[in-house]
Amino acid sequence: MVEPSSLVRWGLRLLALGYVFFLVAWPVALVVQHTFADGLTTLTETLTDPSVQYALTLTLQVAFWAVLINLVFGVTISLLLVRHEFPGKRVLSALIDVPLSVSPVVVGLALLLVYNGRTGWFGPSLEAAGWQVIFDVPGMVMATAFVALPLVIREVVPVLTEIGDDQEQAARSLGASGRQTFLRITLPSIKWAVVYGVVLSLARSLGEFGAVKIVSGNLTDRTQTATLVVEQKYQNFEQSTAYATSFVLAAVSVLCIVVVSLLRPKEASA
Amino acid sequence: MSIEISGVTKRFGDFVALEDVNVSLPTGQLTALLGPSGGGKSTLLRIIAGLETPDTGTVAIEGVDATRLPPRKRNVGFVFQHYAVFKHMTVAKNVAFGLEIRKRPKVEVAERVDELLRLVHLSQFAHRLPSQLSGGQRQRMALARALAVEPTVLLLDEPFGALDAKVRKELREWLRHLHDEVPVTTVFVTHDQEEAMEVADEIVVINEGRVEQVGSPDELYDLPANDFVMSFLGEVTTLGGTQVRPHDVDVATAPRAAGAIEGTIARMLRIGFEVRLTVLTVAGEEVSVVLTRTHARGLGLEEGATVWLTPAPGATVVPAMRPLAV
Ligand SMILES: Nc1ncnc2c1ncn2[C@@H]1O[C@H](COP(=O)(O)OP(=O)(O)O)[C@@H](O)[C@H]1O
Ligand SMILES: [Mg+2]
Repeated sequence: MVEPSSLVRWGLRLLALGYVFFLVAWPVALVVQHTFADGLTTLTETLTDPSVQYALTLTLQVAFWAVLINLVFGVTISLLLVRHEFPGKRVLSALIDVPLSVSPVVVGLALLLVYNGRTGWFGPSLEAAGWQVIFDVPGMVMATAFVALPLVIREVVPVLTEIGDDQEQAARSLGASGRQTFLRITLPSIKWAVVYGVVLSLARSLGEFGAVKIVSGNLTDRTQTATLVVEQKYQNFEQSTAYATSFVLAAVSVLCIVVVSLLRPKEASA
Repeated sequence: MSIEISGVTKRFGDFVALEDVNVSLPTGQLTALLGPSGGGKSTLLRIIAGLETPDTGTVAIEGVDATRLPPRKRNVGFVFQHYAVFKHMTVAKNVAFGLEIRKRPKVEVAERVDELLRLVHLSQFAHRLPSQLSGGQRQRMALARALAVEPTVLLLDEPFGALDAKVRKELREWLRHLHDEVPVTTVFVTHDQEEAMEVADEIVVINEGRVEQVGSPDELYDLPANDFVMSFLGEVTTLGGTQVRPHDVDVATAPRAAGAIEGTIARMLRIGFEVRLTVLTVAGEEVSVVLTRTHARGLGLEEGATVWLTPAPGATVVPAMRPLAV
């Protein structure tokens, strides 16, 4: 005879499993199934399609710069938030969460308003100086960096708070400069949080769609990233190419997260 | 004088943590900053180290004005209450840190680390991580790390505060020996008067942001500057409006001495070789008295008996001016 409480527990487990299955596992599995419906042909064809090749390279470039920018600013802002007191600190902390709550489409439009070359608030002067932001890589990097901004910070801040500044003070009293203290003490202590933040940012950046679509203008073979190619191919009735490209995108993200979870030492979460 | 502190004031918001502190700490000695919790001892120590800047006043170390120098230019070693070990480095790497920062040759660093680990009895733990050490071992490692850079001044903030009583006592004696071996000017913070009396050459008593008295353990005990110092260094009781130690009260069963205070024994407690009396005087004071069991028996004391109390000849007495802060 099964106890009612364990019946409930089993029910809840089934519910959770079903939820994840219908929402995530099954749809993703279908993408995989469509990709490999006729063996490796679709994947090979897709990967040799010049537009797809171009889009994948561009996506990597944009993601690389966006992640790099978020890495540098993310760690710096985290240090500011945890180790320093300054007026406006709470406002800054709240602003960092904006990208999580605002739709990427809005982000794209906002950037367009500021930086577009003809009517933008800032764009014409930049363009006069030879910098094209909108409909070009800089704008796409900005949009992607904006969307992925909180990911590094939200990983690093709790770890910095938890380790406290005792070790940093000890390093300073032993003669270390600010830079030496950061490189030898702070950075090794937050290493895994930074790596995790970077991987999450990377995954997010590879998959960014809405903001990039608006600021890039979606010009084939010029500013079209992988997610934009997926949409276009799908609408042009080249579904199998769309599935294969989606598969590549998903595989890279999943691979990143799996590798980091395997590398990350069990106790060294701090 | 190794450390000269003049006119140092430190506020945190409206709160005055230190108020016009002036102290000179002599070279080569072991000085204790003693006082109750929250009195400003750590703040003063951190100001000496440069981890905190004073609002006013100056700090000079070995004749050099260090008030505006960053910690790394002061050549002080600091040992933190909670060890502040570098968690991701081995014991040897922790100790080597200051030397590596100073870009000393590898061979020299290795030799010095070996020597220091031997000094603090941690040689066999050189390649462990701090998480694999006990509290006492971690604190000894922190001490070796601070000593590695050959500091002019060694500063310790409640170095044994987080350890259990037995380890504490051992480390206390060990610190005294270490100081005799490596006679670097040392300042340590404690709120434990016994620890200060046992280890220090000189004690600075700090209370509510002010220096109450500076002196050797004997001076402080025999000639306390005020009733705060007196009561902080040991038990006191009030007898005829003055403060005196309970074991310094003479008990007589007849009014022999002039000025003796009459009272009745309200309570009598025998603890081992000691007898503790609570005497209620005719003026309404409650006086604590401690005497040996033999002495009490000799006088034939019992509860309800009338006695006459005087401070013993040569006893330390201080007028009771402030309410007791302990
Ligand atoms: N960074 C700080 N900010 C605010 N108040 C502080 C700070 N550091 C110390 N204080 C206050 O100053 C007082 C003295 O502290 P401290 O020097 O640590 O005392 P002690 O070491 O004698 O116990 C305490 O009341 C403490 O709360
Ligand atoms: Mg303290």
